[in-house]
Amino acid sequence: MAEYKLLTQHIGADGLQTRAGYERLGGYQGLREVFRRFTPEQFIEQVKLSGLRGRGGAGFPTGTKWSFLPKDVFPRYLCCNADESEPACFKDRYLIDENPHQLIEGVLIAAYALQVHHAFIYIRGEYHDQRLLLERCVEEAGGAGYIGRNILGSGFDCEVIVHGGAGAYICGEETALIDSLEGYRGQPRLKPPFPALKGLYGKPTVVNNVETLSNLPHIVLRGGDWFKGIGTERSTGTRVWCVSGHIERPGCYEMENGRPIRELLEEEAGGVWQGRRLKAFQPGGGSMQVLLPEHLDLPLDMDAVMKAGSSLGAGAMMFMDETTCMVNVSMRLVDFYHHESCGKCVPCREGTYFESDLMHRLEAGTCKPEELATLSDICDNMNGKCFCPLGDTATWFVMSAYQAFREEFEAHCGAGGCPVRGGARTAALVGAS
Amino acid sequence: MTAAPPPGDGQVGLVIDGREVRVPKGTLLLDAASEVGIHIPIYCAHPKMDPVAVCRMCLVQVEKLPKLQPACATVVSEGMVVDTQSDATAKAREGMLEFLLLNHPLDCPVCDRGGECDLQDFAFRYGPDTSRFPITEKVHFDKAVPLSDKIELDQERCILCWRCVRYYDEITGEKEIVLQQRGVHTAVATFDGQPLRSDYQGNLPEICPVGALTHRQYRFKARPWDLIRTKGVCPECSYGCNVFVDSRDFEVKRFASRDNPMVDDMWLCDRGRYSATSWNSTSRLRRPLVRDAAGGVRDVGVADAVKEAARRLLAVSERGGGEVIGVLGSPDCTNEEAWLLQRLAREVLRTPHIDHQLAEMLRLGPAEHALGIAEIESCTAVVVLGPEPEVNAPVLTLRLHKAATKRGVAVHRVAANAEPRDITARVGDARLVGVVADETNRARAAAVASALAGGGTAVKRMTVTRGGNGRGVKDMGLLPDLAPGYRPAVPAGMGGRAILESATSGSIQALLLLHAGGVLAGLGALVESALRIAKVVVVIDTKPGVLADAATVLIPGHSLMEKQGSVTNLEGRVQRIRAALPPATSVPSELRVLSMLAGALGAEGWGSGDLMEVHRALAADVPAYAAAGNGGRARWEVAAA
Repeated sequence: MAEYKLLTQHIGADGLQTRAGYERLGGYQGLREVFRRFTPEQFIEQVKLSGLRGRGGAGFPTGTKWSFLPKDVFPRYLCCNADESEPACFKDRYLIDENPHQLIEGVLIAAYALQVHHAFIYIRGEYHDQRLLLERCVEEAGGAGYIGRNILGSGFDCEVIVHGGAGAYICGEETALIDSLEGYRGQPRLKPPFPALKGLYGKPTVVNNVETLSNLPHIVLRGGDWFKGIGTERSTGTRVWCVSGHIERPGCYEMENGRPIRELLEEEAGGVWQGRRLKAFQPGGGSMQVLLPEHLDLPLDMDAVMKAGSSLGAGAMMFMDETTCMVNVSMRLVDFYHHESCGKCVPCREGTYFESDLMHRLEAGTCKPEELATLSDICDNMNGKCFCPLGDTATWFVMSAYQAFREEFEAHCGAGGCPVRGGARTAALVGAS
Repeated sequence: MTAAPPPGDGQVGLVIDGREVRVPKGTLLLDAASEVGIHIPIYCAHPKMDPVAVCRMCLVQVEKLPKLQPACATVVSEGMVVDTQSDATAKAREGMLEFLLLNHPLDCPVCDRGGECDLQDFAFRYGPDTSRFPITEKVHFDKAVPLSDKIELDQERCILCWRCVRYYDEITGEKEIVLQQRGVHTAVATFDGQPLRSDYQGNLPEICPVGALTHRQYRFKARPWDLIRTKGVCPECSYGCNVFVDSRDFEVKRFASRDNPMVDDMWLCDRGRYSATSWNSTSRLRRPLVRDAAGGVRDVGVADAVKEAARRLLAVSERGGGEVIGVLGSPDCTNEEAWLLQRLAREVLRTPHIDHQLAEMLRLGPAEHALGIAEIESCTAVVVLGPEPEVNAPVLTLRLHKAATKRGVAVHRVAANAEPRDITARVGDARLVGVVADETNRARAAAVASALAGGGTAVKRMTVTRGGNGRGVKDMGLLPDLAPGYRPAVPAGMGGRAILESATSGSIQALLLLHAGGVLAGLGALVESALRIAKVVVVIDTKPGVLADAATVLIPGHSLMEKQGSVTNLEGRVQRIRAALPPATSVPSELRVLSMLAGALGAEGWGSGDLMEVHRALAADVPAYAAAGNGGRARWEVAAA
């Protein structure tokens, strides 16, 4: 099988973070070529042809999203969603850190396709260094005529504005991102109207993920048809996987869609650390349902993983070894959602608080057995009933873990402490030494 | 199932709980359900605000959709099948209520809202019996935090429905309230902790679905079930906002909004709302008295007081004719009182000198108040002359805001002395222009209206009359040059100021003053000398003061909270008022007193002064009032401006 490294192929090359270094490796050729080869409509068709799906988590086809913009309503806006805050997800930071001009080129290509004259890169507040880097790169690109008036003599104008968030997970939700960008409290908006009709400043808006946009220069240069040939039929191209947890070599690995998850774990990430056995893994970031060792042979394909009851989400794989307490992991994840709930809707605001309180008591071993039914019930009262997916996803991992590791949850009730960390983990640690 | 092709009448058909409903396209599911009497519980949704769908209380099951849908934000579609009573819906409601009560302090026994609280009511109707959440884990906030001198916030009770935030965003546009922090720590706050400054804060506790925002005036004053609720009209200005007068133990405890979409649109101003308790003043006139020439004062029964008044009025008119008598009412009179007073003056006392205020207001015409309040929303543009209209009728500001933000009406606030041609240039092309002015700017408003009119532009004027029933008493002919219904009075008499000046010079020898204390207050020397020099001063009024002190015959009257009748707002809407408090005096109604006086003066056929009798006579005299009935607008044919 051919090795496909697209987005990360030049990473590590000298001076890639500078315009000159990026250009030396063929950078900004995609932008030149998109003006030469395609009208905006033609390029949208290329992206549709490529089968590129959003890399932010939902996996919506990018070309289709673009085609929702109403014709003849201007101005329109493009927002690059760099508010990467999903637990265990760090690929966007990696792509910005290592190859910032590739993103800027992608933003400009999308701006051209959508006929947008103001593009925004909304970057999470904690990515301070990356924000400074992007600001420097935008300035550099502007100095070389890639940004601003009449870009490369094409007659197309576009400004790129880098905007830092203030550290809220919810601002990764596209309408909350738009609210935040407008200077309001970042909270999701009521849909419809969708951003494609009424987004930033009430105008048609497209919000795309960093990795999604970084694919565009390659699609320009080698065509949608070529891109479609990579990966699987409905998960085309490659993805930059964030691999973390109990493994030998945590990090970002680009791999073609369709390869087995096992290959990512064993060949790229070096397998489970310290020779231990895998207990479970979460394939798509903190929001997604738990999968078991038997799922390791699933392909890296959105639909296949969906069928197995989870999702590849934003491409973050967290592996957990045999010493892991699933109640403890659930508690930590629930705490995250409780901390990040924006407070707009009742089930998420109050439900995550209830969930978190219950999980803490469960982990401490002070829960009564009948409270496990309460846990299921409050998750059911949240799931599918919240204003935005944040509250829904706050229940997914814990519910799937409860189903897969029911006896572990039950063992916590009235145990007066964590039976897993107090037992198996210690044993494993002792055994290893 | 094949959906029937949508009919072309702009209507959409759907089924809710097995009942077929047809509603206009674009209707929200919540409204479609209420159309057929199906109740869906709501907290964040509000009939006057755009949906936000955050409380999730209104989730209902819609066939073919995997998730429950918020009825408050779901637009109906053809063939939709909705179930508001399914198990899934019931479970969601119960679940939401458990969440809502999670961090709620459950201090209903000491909460002002207890008894009229949606959280209490829905928890009882749809909620769980018990809580599964440990009470020790509740999030706490400071209680009873003042947001201003009028409003207090109890954040623990707040369910974060956003209504107060949206009220300031959408209804007043003042944006004084924000939410701070996030998650369960989210709290209502003012910007930078500054006190609220709005003139419309009193609406906040009413839109709050729980007891989080409370009136400082009303805190701990009553439980809702202790209150006696009377439909009334706010007497504070001529806008005529509909209120509930809520009283307990013979005291008014609060004015609550009584939504009239044509007038107040359910919003009250603070000046009006918080005037409620002023009606509890114990400083009142209670017994009739008669003062003799030497200054001696005698307590008398009302029959004797009326006889004495008649005797003294006859004494001066026998010598000088009716024209030596001046009659003053005020905008504090009901329509029936005003009509009867002018009839007494013109038919019995035979004096043309009658008015209701001091400012001269001659040649009034119905064209000056042709524009209805709700009609503002269908204007192309509205010109407001100077700040006075909105200062004197504050709720007008909210209607203008709604017209501008939700109906796209161009609202031009211009200086009262702006040049008409500049205003015309600013307005530009327009189909219908409203010109709104205070009654002191009548002449300017007329000039602006005539400059704007013509060439496809129609103009309608609104005049903000001074005083609660300022419009009604004018319609009733308490004017020197106009009889009831804007018929010319023949002969025309002197206006208010001239009456007082003539009393000072001696050509007016007797004054009959009905509820005139308010309009004559603070006028100093002119009133004092008129009262001192006039030989006969018959005063019917409610409160002690210069008038009562100078009265030669004093008959206590009833406050607007103690009587029945009708009042008319600035657009001519005739609205009933009812007695919310028992009378402070045993003297019969003003209508009865005036009828007794007419009888004592020798008039015949005046009847007993029964309200319905007077109202029927009034309606026969002024057909526009007969047509208006209760709650309609009195209209006259208006020649096109």
